[in-house]
Amino acid sequence: MSENVKKYIKRQVIKPINSKISEKFVDAGLEKIRACINCGTCTGGCPSGRRTAYRTRSAIRKALTGDTSVLEDIDIWLCSTCYYCYERCPRDIPVTDMIIKLRNIAVEEGYILDAHFGLANNVFFITGHGVPANGEENKKWQDLRESYGLPPLPPTVHCHPEAVEEVQSLLKSVGFTELMENTKKLKEERAKKEQAEKEESTK
Amino acid sequence: MIEKKNWRYGMFLGCVAPNRYPMIEASIRAVFEHLGAELLELEGASCCPAPGVFRAFHIPSWLVIAARNITIAEQIGVSPLTGCNGCYGTLRDAWVEMEHEPSLKKMVNEHLAKVGRVYKGNREPKHIVQALYLDMGMDYLRDHIKYTFKDLKVAVHYGCHIIKPSDKRPWGGQYECPTFLDEMVELTGAKSLDYKDKFLCCGAGGAVRTAVKEISADFSREKLENIRNAGADIIIDVCPFCHLQLDLGQLEANGIYKDIIGEPYKIPVIYLTQLLGLAFGIDPNQLGLVKNHQLAGVPPFISIEPFLNIVKEQLD
Amino acid sequence: MTESKPEEIVVTAHDKPKIGVYVCHCGINIGGVISVPDLVEYSKTLPNVVLAKEYKFLCSDIGQKLIQDDIKEGLINRVIVAACSPRMHEPTFRATLNDVGLNQFLFEQANIREHATWVNMQDPEGAYEIAKDHIRMAVGKANKLRPLEVQKVKVEPSCLIIGGGVAGMNAALDLATEGYTTYLVERTPTIGGHMAQLDKTFPTMDCSACIITPRMSDVAKTKGIELRTYCEVVDVEGYVGNFVVTIMHKPHYVDQEKCTACGACAEECPIDCGNEFDLGMQTRKAIYIPFPQAVPGQYTIDMDKCVKCGICARETVCEPGAIVYDDKPVYEKIKIGTIIIATGWDLFDPIKLEQYGYGRYPNVIDSLQMERLLSSFGPVLGKPVRPSDLKAPHSIAFLQCVGSRNFRQGGNKYCSRVCCMYATKQARQYKEKHPEADVYIFYMDVRAFGKGYEEFYESAAENYGINYIRGRIAEVREGENNSIIIRAEDTLLQELIELEVDMFILSCGLVPKADADQVSALLSVQRSSDGFFMEAHPKLKPVDTLTDGVFVAGVAQGPKDIPDTVAQAKGAASSAAALMAQGEVEIEPYYSVVLEHLCSGCKTCQSLCPFGAINFDNFKKIAMVNPAKCKGCGTCVSACPSDAMVQNHFNNDQLITIINFALKENPL
Repeated sequence: MSENVKKYIKRQVIKPINSKISEKFVDAGLEKIRACINCGTCTGGCPSGRRTAYRTRSAIRKALTGDTSVLEDIDIWLCSTCYYCYERCPRDIPVTDMIIKLRNIAVEEGYILDAHFGLANNVFFITGHGVPANGEENKKWQDLRESYGLPPLPPTVHCHPEAVEEVQSLLKSVGFTELMENTKKLKEERAKKEQAEKEESTK
Repeated sequence: MIEKKNWRYGMFLGCVAPNRYPMIEASIRAVFEHLGAELLELEGASCCPAPGVFRAFHIPSWLVIAARNITIAEQIGVSPLTGCNGCYGTLRDAWVEMEHEPSLKKMVNEHLAKVGRVYKGNREPKHIVQALYLDMGMDYLRDHIKYTFKDLKVAVHYGCHIIKPSDKRPWGGQYECPTFLDEMVELTGAKSLDYKDKFLCCGAGGAVRTAVKEISADFSREKLENIRNAGADIIIDVCPFCHLQLDLGQLEANGIYKDIIGEPYKIPVIYLTQLLGLAFGIDPNQLGLVKNHQLAGVPPFISIEPFLNIVKEQLD
Repeated sequence: MTESKPEEIVVTAHDKPKIGVYVCHCGINIGGVISVPDLVEYSKTLPNVVLAKEYKFLCSDIGQKLIQDDIKEGLINRVIVAACSPRMHEPTFRATLNDVGLNQFLFEQANIREHATWVNMQDPEGAYEIAKDHIRMAVGKANKLRPLEVQKVKVEPSCLIIGGGVAGMNAALDLATEGYTTYLVERTPTIGGHMAQLDKTFPTMDCSACIITPRMSDVAKTKGIELRTYCEVVDVEGYVGNFVVTIMHKPHYVDQEKCTACGACAEECPIDCGNEFDLGMQTRKAIYIPFPQAVPGQYTIDMDKCVKCGICARETVCEPGAIVYDDKPVYEKIKIGTIIIATGWDLFDPIKLEQYGYGRYPNVIDSLQMERLLSSFGPVLGKPVRPSDLKAPHSIAFLQCVGSRNFRQGGNKYCSRVCCMYATKQARQYKEKHPEADVYIFYMDVRAFGKGYEEFYESAAENYGINYIRGRIAEVREGENNSIIIRAEDTLLQELIELEVDMFILSCGLVPKADADQVSALLSVQRSSDGFFMEAHPKLKPVDTLTDGVFVAGVAQGPKDIPDTVAQAKGAASSAAALMAQGEVEIEPYYSVVLEHLCSGCKTCQSLCPFGAINFDNFKKIAMVNPAKCKGCGTCVSACPSDAMVQNHFNNDQLITIINFALKENPL
């Protein structure tokens, strides 16, 4: 009997609706999101949606109904920002900007992929490039440059350590480093909590 | 013969071009020098910062770093010029947004002041295609064509950020079916093919490649399948990240999706200025087309020999 | 009904103003927010106010009598009502004065409701201060009010209707029946408009041609209707009741009296060109009638296509000898009392929406093309085929809201109202001819608002098996054999779909005619932000325009279906008739007056007048204002470098007094 209960009974069918997420959009001047009439043009032309479970319209709808799963799931990170939804929306909603805002909110609340965190905090913050070529481990890229008649390192931050420091101090000033620390903290706390809950349930 | 104007730009390199695909950087420098445009160095420029990743984390950070990069060009009195759709997306969108919303510009300058910089916003960020097509114009480019291909079938890949968001781009709002790259490719005598979903995104951007490589590889797989079915000899693109996704990504797709693609893909991926440079008569060595090294694990990951053979056969 | 006119109370500039201030409670609208008794006391302190009273509802009979009694007893010769907006009750109170013989322009209304209490309900002290300001300013003006006389002008009992579609024709028939001479001007060679192009009409599935052609022949036969087809209105001068309209008769190159419509010329004509009526899908000759049931049925030569080969002019071809190669335009000037704009619509051109492939893929067509394909006298005699291979499609898809409900830059934000129903109709028609075909309608919403519409929609799904998919199509591409492959999200299933169909039909919206701006300029009427002609009041005056004597009917005013169009046409005819029945119309005396001794003849005012109300007297070399056309906008007054223009009821002295009283100074 209890197996059927587990299989078929789904309480919590009624979903409460709140404006917790949409309030953040309104505060940021992105109240246009509320004009969405769910026509589906955005999803219909989405190149990512054709091969993943990401549905543009559903992400927007979840934001408007306050469904926080949109911040926790990976779906919004599968948008390649091709901007077709932005161009075709009949209500003139800058859809891509909305997805990016959802990503911002997700990061604030500690939902970020390890790969992205590493790229931001370690690669970019340390070197000033998203794809660096300096250091011994990147010698082959320097050699490659030279083989095409270019100096081994480009005249970017790679040749100007003071520029790297400038970038780092700007990132501190504008709150990027603080955001990354906070994100990491929230993510670790959540992981601990989930681990504890798992151990509880297996006891 | 159109008079050579005084074109001066600041060469914004970004990350992928200088650090992974330097042949693209080499070909841009060679072509612009040949056309009489001056490319000044933007010393100390950083990552633009990449729109897919960094804009997703924190917009103020993205604006501040982008503005810093633009000020490097402003200081030497030139427009920042980039050969990358991603960098173009960042620099141009940041520029337009700050012009539109003065409070953003104010916020950015508050932070830049701490490092002794002032962002004015008086230098329009440009893509090299914008410089070639709009600043110099087709007639000027046509005058420089020395050699033409007899039978080269090209699949042009526009990418996304060069044309969208269309309200922040210089193409008059056109985004569904632009033709400017096809026109430039056909200057060289090559034929620009129509193929299924020609304007499909390569899949690298928007932080997708960093998030789940297999997903971006599937974008590329679909694109490569359509390009192969259309019978193209080469792919032409105008973005180092698209270039990476279609070149290294072609190798990855061949591996990850080998069960469904049949024959592995082997379509050479060429950057626009490499093709234009050949038609202008520039030495292929200067265009990054000739391998002068024995390094392993570096591009081009898909051999461009078939293309070089066509070049030998068709261009006198 | 008519009482004897009351004896006029004479008021001149020498008489001291005796102002009566009446403050209205307006129920709790005013009285519930501020203290009306205090306002009454305040009013008594103001210059030349001899009495001040209050009442709950001054607009009521008792309220009005309160004022009238004071006038009749000679206590007051200026009346101020402090109450609602003058747009509500100024006419009411003016009539109150008029009925007891006091000049109605010795009245001023202070708006202490909309401008004070209604907008400051949370701030009664603030509302009170504002109310005092308004009353004080009104007292200032009242001190300077002078009696004025309304002008009366005669109204010509004739109506000009621009546009010979279903709206224009119905309005013409009604007016002619009522006995008014009606000029029905239509720029194409036939009346009937777009309705003649339709095959069936929803929801009854009446054959459109069957219901409109009898009307068309009625119009031709009705004595009071002066039919002017192949004509255009090129100039409109004058003002309400007294328009002078110039109509250009375009040259037919065929004598319309002699032509018997036998059609022999068209049989011999060697030139084939696209027929506009069939949107280019069928040919006509250079000498043609637009469609077989055209009214009038006489032929016209399209000179752009004619090569003057002379074949049609041969005696053996045109026996009556009706061909006139050197025909010229003829201009006709007529006197008109009222004008009805019934110019109709064009279909939105979807060529700019490149994602739908219109103009690139042969099997993407628009709804009017589909309508002609479905028509029994259309290019395929009612058996629709795909343009690419002329075979009947096995599957068709419609996309709704093409060019409508689009908030993007340059898009039309409005809903075109008829597309949901006409797509359902066309889908049903196709299913009737091909029951085995798959028919899809991609929609955002289905708007089935009218009588019988919801039932029609239900039947389309239940009885005809039309598939309604809620999802706006993102893009299409071409497949094998010119098929159309559609990409959309089925939003109700939250699934992406890719659908291949043989033919794709765009349900395009309705847009104003391309030269609506020229008509607008010709008649001095405004257009709304959506480009259609603007009604005088969105709720209460749907057929009037802001220009007196000019009315609007049909889709020219906004997208609507045939029942609403006919209703509105009848409404416009009724309004025009009401104006013409009165025989004369009153003009408000707010017009400007030229002080002849000051006018230097610089013509600045004439060049600026937006209503063309100022003419130049070449003999006296001064400006002259036409009081009937003058709207009292004040432009000429402020522009005149010689201070020679005075505006009745708003002259400089009055306005400066108001300002001074507003600033609490009292220059009296």
